[in-house]
Parts: sequence; C-alpha cells; structure tokens
Amino acid sequence: MKTGIKKIDLQGLVTLALLVAMNVVLQKISFGPATVKVGLGFIGSALLAYYFGPFWGGVGAVLSDLLKSAVFGVEGGFFPGFILSAIVGVVIYAIFLYQKPIKWWRIIASTLLVTLVVNVLMNTYWIHLLYGLDLRAAFLQRILKELITPWIQIVVLYVILNSLQRVKIRR
Amino acid sequence: MSKIIIGRYIPGNSIVYKMDPRGKIIATFLFIVIIFLANNWVSYFFLSIFTLLAVWATKLKPKVFWDGVKPLIWLILFTSVLQLFFTTGGKVYWHWGVFNISEYGIQNSIFIFIRFVMIILTSTVLTLTTTSLEIADGMEWILKPLGYLKVPVAQIALVMSIALRFVPTLLDQTVRIMNAQRARGADFNSGGLIKRIHSIIPILIPLFISSLTVAIDLATAMEARGYREGAKRTRYRVLKWSKYDWINLGYFALLTLILLLTRTY
Repeated sequence: MKTGIKKIDLQGLVTLALLVAMNVVLQKISFGPATVKVGLGFIGSALLAYYFGPFWGGVGAVLSDLLKSAVFGVEGGFFPGFILSAIVGVVIYAIFLYQKPIKWWRIIASTLLVTLVVNVLMNTYWIHLLYGLDLRAAFLQRILKELITPWIQIVVLYVILNSLQRVKIRR
Repeated sequence: MSKIIIGRYIPGNSIVYKMDPRGKIIATFLFIVIIFLANNWVSYFFLSIFTLLAVWATKLKPKVFWDGVKPLIWLILFTSVLQLFFTTGGKVYWHWGVFNISEYGIQNSIFIFIRFVMIILTSTVLTLTTTSLEIADGMEWILKPLGYLKVPVAQIALVMSIALRFVPTLLDQTVRIMNAQRARGADFNSGGLIKRIHSIIPILIPLFISSLTVAIDLATAMEARGYREGAKRTRYRVLKWSKYDWINLGYFALLTLILLLTRTY
C-alpha cells in the first residue's frame, strides 16, 4: 500500500482544500425517501481517499469534520472519537481505492469494511461512551440503517468514481 | 437546499462573545470530558445548572438553542426510550421478554436525556457565539503542538482556511448547478432510488470540475502573489487572550471540582 505521505505541491493543497469544502457541502445533502435517508458524506471520504491517499486524505477527512462543525454547528457535540472514525474511514477507502483501478470488488469490500468498522463498531462505541447509552441499545438503534445504506453507497460510489475518471483524464 | 444556512453565528455582545475562540473550543472539549464524571442526581443537577448558566450568559433567545436541539429531538427521545427498556437493576416495574422497565432504567434514561441536551447546548453556545473564521483560527492554534510530531501544520492550516473560504462559494455553486439542471428537466426529488442516485451525477460532476478549475486558478494566483512553500510568513489575524478567558476557564475548573466532589465513586 502506498502511504501518500509524499510531498504535496501548492496545487495539490488547494485541490485538497476544495475537495474538503465540497465534502462539507455534500455532508449537508441527503437523498432518498424519508425512511431511508442516505447522506452524501461518504462520497467525500471516498474521493479524498481516491485522490489523496491515506495521509492527506485523512487530513482532509479530519478538516472536513472540524469545518462541518464550525460552519454548520455540531450535531450531537464535539467528540474526538468521531474524528478518529473519519480518519479510519478514509484509510480503509485508501487501501482499496488509492491509485488503483476502479473495480466492483474494491468498492464493495471498502464500503462494507467502512460500514462494519467505522459505522457499526467505532461510532456505536463512541455513542456508548459519549451518552452513557447501553451498548446493546446503541447497537440496535444503528444496525437497521447500516444494513441498508452500504448497498446504496456501493452503487453510488461505483457510478460516481467511474464518471469522475473521465474528468481526471481530461485534466 | 434552501434550508441550509451557512454559519450559525448570531452577532451579540455578551461576555461569551468577548472570549477567545481558543478558550471556548478548549472549554467545549473539556465539557465532553467532565460530562463523564457526572453519575448521580447531584452531579447531573450541577452539570445542568452550569450549562444553563453558560446558555444564559450568551444573552441569546432560548429559541436559537431550541433550534439546535430540535433536529435531534426524536433521536434523543428514541435513545432514551431504548435505554429505558434495556437497563436492568433496582425495582422492576414492568417486564416483557427482553424488555423491562426498572428503577435504574428510568434513572439512566433521564441521565442520558440530560447528557444529550447538555452536550448539544454547549456546542451550540460555541457555534452561535463564534464566527467560523475564529473557530478555524482557534483550531489552527490547537493543532500547533502536532508540529513536533512532524505533522505539516502550516499546510494543514492553509487547507483549512481555503476550504472554509470556499464552503459558501461551493454551496452557491451547488444550488446554481441544481437549478440549471432543473431548468432542463432534471428531477432531484422524485423517482426510485436508482433514479435518484443517477440524478446526483449531474450535480456532482460539474461541481467537481468547477472545484478543479478554481483550485488551478487559485494556486496560480497565490504563487503570483509570492506564496512560497515553507517560507516564513507573518500573521495578519491574531487571536488575543483576555481576562474573560480566565473567567471561562475558571468557570470550568469550578464545575470540574464540583463534579469531582459530588459524584459517587
């Protein structure tokens, strides 16, 4: 796996900044019927990982998280655990997607792994810690959504990454 | 889309506004830490009193705080109710299968409700009384020690300020792109899931392309104005620590002390 801690030029930095800004905007948009709202935040994380790798992508994820709180206010409070979740999410996406060809299995594996490790295990644990909620209750509350959303995310990610590849070539 | 408001800052001139953003951010983090200390009625009582005093000190209308809690109220209630059913211990009032309502359950669900609301209220105090630019400056200062771990803090700070500057621009851009696509028949709010997924692409791709264009232009402009990688630079916006920040930190120290004294071990 390439670490991506290589030197980044100004153009890379500015592009990263705009991707972070885009990520903040995307986190505010959700789509789908009211029962299964899917946020678009995961697209931002995947794009950060895809273009910038685990290190700078991770930096981007942390900044997106912080700026989202600064700009839109924090839903549910500042908690460093969620920043850690953002980093782990990008690192997982980066392992599968950074400087790799876009394949169905890569997207399926990365999305499922992110869902399991970040959304189901880590975030549930943070909620348990932060609010003193019973671990079983916290788990039950999240599991239903996490059973449905990854499949939607996989399709969205595949379609979007494929469309973006055309953009990259033209640049 | 139109419901999105950029920046939750509401101008005012109470004491909370005069505090340094660094102090406020540290205090908000500290609050998350000390909330773990509360574990009985007395400590939760003091926690609530101190939070409500902080809310009161902002001199803002209660409605703006209610707006912060409102979007999460169902989640909070749902979480409290789940907790009510799953906690065992103490006197049992009602029992069915895995569910039961017990003395501890009622107590815990009330505690969780208070915790939720207090955490939301404190972070709302921060975002309402501090501009996002100030928050970014404060965060940059807090990140500084990471420089000793060879983390490129200056570059990260640059990314943060550029991103912050472009969030409103990109938000406008997104709305404009959506309107332009709508004008030609795109529909973002109906149809099945697959159709909706496909409807994101006409938003995302133009947004991405315009971001790339902006990035190239901005990098060129910055270099033209003499930005050099790693060169020593001065600061125009400077944060100043004032006496109000000592009041702020003293207030939190007092709360910590009270919680340490009142909690059960």
